Amino acid sequence: MPAVSKGDGMRGLAVFISDIRNCKSKEAEIKRINKELANIRSKFKGDKALDGYSKKKYVCKLLFIFLLGHDIDFGHMEAVNLLSSNKYTEKQIGYLFISVLVNSNSELIRLINNAIKNDLSSRNPTFMCLALHCIANVGSREMAEAFAGEIPRILVAGDTMDSVKQSAALCLLRLYKTSPDLVLMGEWTSRVVHLLNDQHMGVVTAAISLITCLSQKNPDEFKTCVSLAVSRLSRIVSSASTDLQDYTYYFVPAPWLSCKLLRLLQCYPPPEDGAVKGRLVECLETILNKAQEPPKSKKVQHSNAKNAILFEAISLIIHYDSEPNLLVRACNQLGQFLQHRETNLRYLALESMCTLASSEFSHEAVKTHIETVINALKTERDVSVRQRAADLLYAMCDRSNAKQIVAEMLSYLETADYSIREEMVLKVAILAEKYAVDYSWYVDTILNLIRIAGDYVSEEVWYRVIQIVINRDDVQGYAAKTVFEALQAPACHENMVKVGGYILGEFGNLIAGDPRSSPLVQFNLLHSKFHLCSVPTRALLLSAYIKFINLFPETKSTIQEVLRSDSQIRNSDVELQQRAVEYLKLSSIASTDVLATVLEEMPPFPERESSILAKLKKKKGPGAVSVNELEEGKREGELNGGGERGGDNSGIAASNASTPSPSADLLGLRTVPPVTAAAPSAGSLLVDVFSEAGVNDDGFLRDLEPPTESSDSLLAEGSGDSDSAPPSAVSEDPAPPLPESNELLNKFVCKNNGVLFENQLLQIGIKSEYRQNLGRMYLFYGNKTSVQFVTFTTTVTCPGELQSQLNVQTKTVEPLIEGGAQVQQVINIECLTDFLDAPLLNIKFRYGGALQNLTLKLPVTINKFFQPTEMASHDFFQRWKQLSQPQQEAQKIFKANHAMDTEVLKAKLLGLGMALLENVDPNPENFVCAGVIQTKAQQVGSLLRLEPNAQAQMYRLTLRSSKDTVSQRLCELLAEQF
Amino acid sequence: MMHFLLLFSRQGKLRLQKWFLPLPERERKKIVKDMTTMVLARKPRTCNFMHWKDLKIVYKRYASLYFCCGLENQDNELLALEILHRYVELLDKYFGNVCELDIIFNFEKAYFILDEFLMGGEIQETSKQSIAKSVEASDMLQETMEEYMSKPAF
Repeated sequence: MPAVSKGDGMRGLAVFISDIRNCKSKEAEIKRINKELANIRSKFKGDKALDGYSKKKYVCKLLFIFLLGHDIDFGHMEAVNLLSSNKYTEKQIGYLFISVLVNSNSELIRLINNAIKNDLSSRNPTFMCLALHCIANVGSREMAEAFAGEIPRILVAGDTMDSVKQSAALCLLRLYKTSPDLVLMGEWTSRVVHLLNDQHMGVVTAAISLITCLSQKNPDEFKTCVSLAVSRLSRIVSSASTDLQDYTYYFVPAPWLSCKLLRLLQCYPPPEDGAVKGRLVECLETILNKAQEPPKSKKVQHSNAKNAILFEAISLIIHYDSEPNLLVRACNQLGQFLQHRETNLRYLALESMCTLASSEFSHEAVKTHIETVINALKTERDVSVRQRAADLLYAMCDRSNAKQIVAEMLSYLETADYSIREEMVLKVAILAEKYAVDYSWYVDTILNLIRIAGDYVSEEVWYRVIQIVINRDDVQGYAAKTVFEALQAPACHENMVKVGGYILGEFGNLIAGDPRSSPLVQFNLLHSKFHLCSVPTRALLLSAYIKFINLFPETKSTIQEVLRSDSQIRNSDVELQQRAVEYLKLSSIASTDVLATVLEEMPPFPERESSILAKLKKKKGPGAVSVNELEEGKREGELNGGGERGGDNSGIAASNASTPSPSADLLGLRTVPPVTAAAPSAGSLLVDVFSEAGVNDDGFLRDLEPPTESSDSLLAEGSGDSDSAPPSAVSEDPAPPLPESNELLNKFVCKNNGVLFENQLLQIGIKSEYRQNLGRMYLFYGNKTSVQFVTFTTTVTCPGELQSQLNVQTKTVEPLIEGGAQVQQVINIECLTDFLDAPLLNIKFRYGGALQNLTLKLPVTINKFFQPTEMASHDFFQRWKQLSQPQQEAQKIFKANHAMDTEVLKAKLLGLGMALLENVDPNPENFVCAGVIQTKAQQVGSLLRLEPNAQAQMYRLTLRSSKDTVSQRLCELLAEQF
Repeated sequence: MMHFLLLFSRQGKLRLQKWFLPLPERERKKIVKDMTTMVLARKPRTCNFMHWKDLKIVYKRYASLYFCCGLENQDNELLALEILHRYVELLDKYFGNVCELDIIFNFEKAYFILDEFLMGGEIQETSKQSIAKSVEASDMLQETMEEYMSKPAF
């Protein structure tokens, strides 16, 4: 045990820590801790009042035990008592305990707030700082409510000590982040901005974090900070390294403040004032020049601090994207770093260059480094650096270098780390498609991809190659030939079999002329893989076989033989058995014409956003490309590919006149149509590909009236129980939303629990809870019949742009629901930004053999993310006036649908999630509400006023929000409620 | 803004945890687990940065302790590295040749020093002198060694 050298060590604590360290096993540790907990508990409960020191010591022991990872359920009260001690050390431990362990026990919060209030008004700077720290550490809404008014005053008061100002600035920032609606800057704005001029560097350093955050949210009000920031920056940049005394860090003047200033400037466009702009450009040039000077110290801290400023300056240059000269210099500087011996710098250079690649001024300059980047991909020892190199190659790819980059990425894939393979596969697939001029190259690339990294090729990738081959008749023969060859390999990946089965089933005829790939050879080749494949692939192959019977009548008897074998027609898997039976029947009873109609070549797929791109966007996790990066990728695609691509388009269009929408831009990058990327459920792959095609497969099997057989044939899927099913339930495409789904949605605007849907078979109950921008929904599927539901699957999709607005995650449900039983499904929802539509819930199951298929709207509406905001009458009308732009307001006058009962109205408004404000509106008949919608991207404050007119049985509803779409949407939702 | 700062040993024992955003206990444990496994698995002389979910992870090893923090996307990695370094310097100045044991036995001091330096995940004061001065000042407010020694051990 080291001697306690400073301050007041607590001897008992030190002994206890030693004991714990001497414990030989986990069990011994737990035993020792339990003993201690019992001891402390008895002391706290004992008759003898504890002195401050003992209280402090025990609270500190509890804290230590908690930090070891054990639960602590007492001692809070004693810690709160310590807050009001006059002894600094006791107070300090009390605050530390609260900061680390506070829970939202409201009784306690009130006591804590009282203690904080006392310390804040104590005028003792040390106590004030402790209190401010506690507020920032806990940062709860209750604290914001209690102190958001007081702290700005402390921050700008003339007599506040510098150290307190620093704490106040950051404390306010914390509260602003938790509860922006409670922090009203209005009158303080200009004084806060002028903290940038403060004499004390520490005050500026702390205040600038606050100013940056406020500027991001209210750029106009804080605009004056630009010129102040530029002049402060210029003073630092031009100062000698000794001028700033202790704010010089390893010979670099004020690196933290410099970076923060450069970051603040990134909230704004380039300064309009010529003089300010000139001064700023000068600063940026000086920073770039300094990078070339010999270092003033060999210490890594010196170079890190210096380069931190340099990278921040480069970020600003990229942000402005308007100074070609600076951009090119930035690019050259990063180019130097690409070969630097410091791994950290190579990593950061690769990362920064990714953003630089999207600027039209520097894209070409970035491209000149391609060899270095490829080399990095091959030789870097650190996987996170290789990952950045792969990202940069993706970002710098354009038509001129696509073949090279794709080839390098493919060869890298052979040895790539498992953690990044899936993402690499997606990127290769996207680049191959985006820059494909000649589609045989595209097909080769994707098949190579499957060959090299088959396990990492997701369904989206192979769906996509099929979509493209089907849409482009110039590549179909080549594709058939290539997959045929690829399938010759003795061990080929199951994904290859899937693609092979699908393509040969559609286009095998194009290569059947060659005796080496005659129909029977093709069939035997496919069938040789059959037994090694999983059920979904086998199902797909069976469909390929029936297509063969249509394409090549000579294979009919062989294939019928296969279908008839016990391993097919009596397969224990229902799906396989059904397909075998149906296909066998189809091939024997249908005439050639009928067969040809049923199994006609697939029509082209409608243009849509690439499912792969959607997947890459969705994919989050280590090293995933952010959506932003992709957006940039899009821009870049246009900048570089735009002109030439036009030419290509017309060429392809001419050669491909038979395809209805012959855009070369199959990714749909330029005109992203808001099509649901129908997330294909597992289960039947063939059908999923069909549904991607948007083909109505009604005619596929069901319309075939069995001419002679008994009506119980499996072919007639819809017979029997289908009477009870809604008409849409027969297709395997996700059914369109039920006509009443909007009404069902409206039922849940003001409540979170209830029955969402019910018919003769199924009841769906719902329970949901929301907190900030997150929600959790429990769905209860009840089987009302006495027969089990099988293959019960549910899929939640976010149609169109909702995909980027809501993040919905579902856990899969048990595929089987016994008669009378209920299963539960949990859905997690994250609101990324405001949204209009509701997610769709598709439910499919078989009841007595009949497929049931229905789609509902999940009652997730924007108001669910409301947090109520209490405010006084004065504040309300001030806010109301602030939101006076015409687009911020939405208003509706409508007739009452329900009785105009005040209590019912109140309950509904509360259910909406806003705070119902009493005594605010001068007319007591009216209702006003306030709330903030919490989304990940931003918070949208909204105010509501509802004016009932009992005589006319009418309402006037007015909504004002900081975002126009929100006002509109809320108004629409609410008008249905009263 | 920094989301968290963790100090853990080479054996993965957590020595200090500072959370700048309120997170449920379960999530904290998950982060600690992910960070220790990820960072400890890194080979020597690799770079100090990683991506994890939507955060940037910056870490550095000082003797037997790893210092590891999670940053937002727009934060500067190099500067974060120097935040870690400055914190080590501050601990060193206070304890004098700081070692892991100092932090174990005086964990509350390690928190107090951190509080003088960072607040709400942002830099509050970068001057070593100012911070040292305010930590010293608060020590002056505490009992003397004699008082301490005369206190009972339990």
